[in-house]
Amino acid sequence: MLHIKCPYCGMRSQNEFSYGGDASVKRPELNKEISDQEWDSFVYNRKSLRGKHLELWQHLSGCRQWIKVERDTATHEIFNTHKADEEIS
Amino acid sequence: MSSISALENIHQKGKFGDCEEKNENNLIKISEIKNLLITQIVQFKSSNVVCEEIKIDNLNLSSKPLSVVNNENTRILWNGPRNWLVIKSKKETFTEIDEKFKEDDFAVTDISHSKSIIELEGDQAKEVLKKGCPFNFNEFYKNNCLNSTFNGMSIIVDMINDNPDTFRIFALRSFGESLYHSITDSSLEFGYIGK
Repeated sequence: MLHIKCPYCGMRSQNEFSYGGDASVKRPELNKEISDQEWDSFVYNRKSLRGKHLELWQHLSGCRQWIKVERDTATHEIFNTHKADEEIS
Repeated sequence: MSSISALENIHQKGKFGDCEEKNENNLIKISEIKNLLITQIVQFKSSNVVCEEIKIDNLNLSSKPLSVVNNENTRILWNGPRNWLVIKSKKETFTEIDEKFKEDDFAVTDISHSKSIIELEGDQAKEVLKKGCPFNFNEFYKNNCLNSTFNGMSIIVDMINDNPDTFRIFALRSFGESLYHSITDSSLEFGYIGK
């Protein structure tokens, strides 16, 4: 079982969280003309990276906030967690 | 509104589990708490009001995670960022809350009838909670609260006393029966009194 440090509540069990997908995917800007292929990529196409990866999780049974988690998909090691609106350098 | 409590026909009084030759003071006590007034206050993201300066029943809203501010009649639980539960034990109106929390800045909801509340009291109460909840209760103290799960059900735990350990466990009303059976099953090992 993973333990994820929620930026609001502290260290909690993975049971309380819900996985929300790749956090590096950016929605195309509003009202910007984009091709079908770009939209297709945004909606469906994901890289299945091995290694360090930025993910979205929701603390569903806790504070209900969305957070970003830096996790290694091979070892499951969690390096860092951030608030969803936090810029990560 | 229904005046029938969530566990009206489920909660049983008496002694259960490993009670024989044990002092009653050493047994866990389980009871249903009724007639609490529960109000959820959520501040909108667009709001610039400083919540720490607003008082309810002379209590400030705290932005400290897992904290409860309380007095004799009222407990205010931190329920998430910009989110609080106000729990009043006295039959009062919500006039004060309605006056202080304007609808442009806050969503105020009366959820008194949507929760089932179980009170767990006894020195072994933490051991019961540890059986179904993944939180580390060794670092949970009086006037702390948390949102978590108990055997997969979302719960709110409020520690109201530490001598002996006393917890109020809130769950959605529809989960009340399942939660009650989970809690009582976990308590059988220690012996419990249904009050």
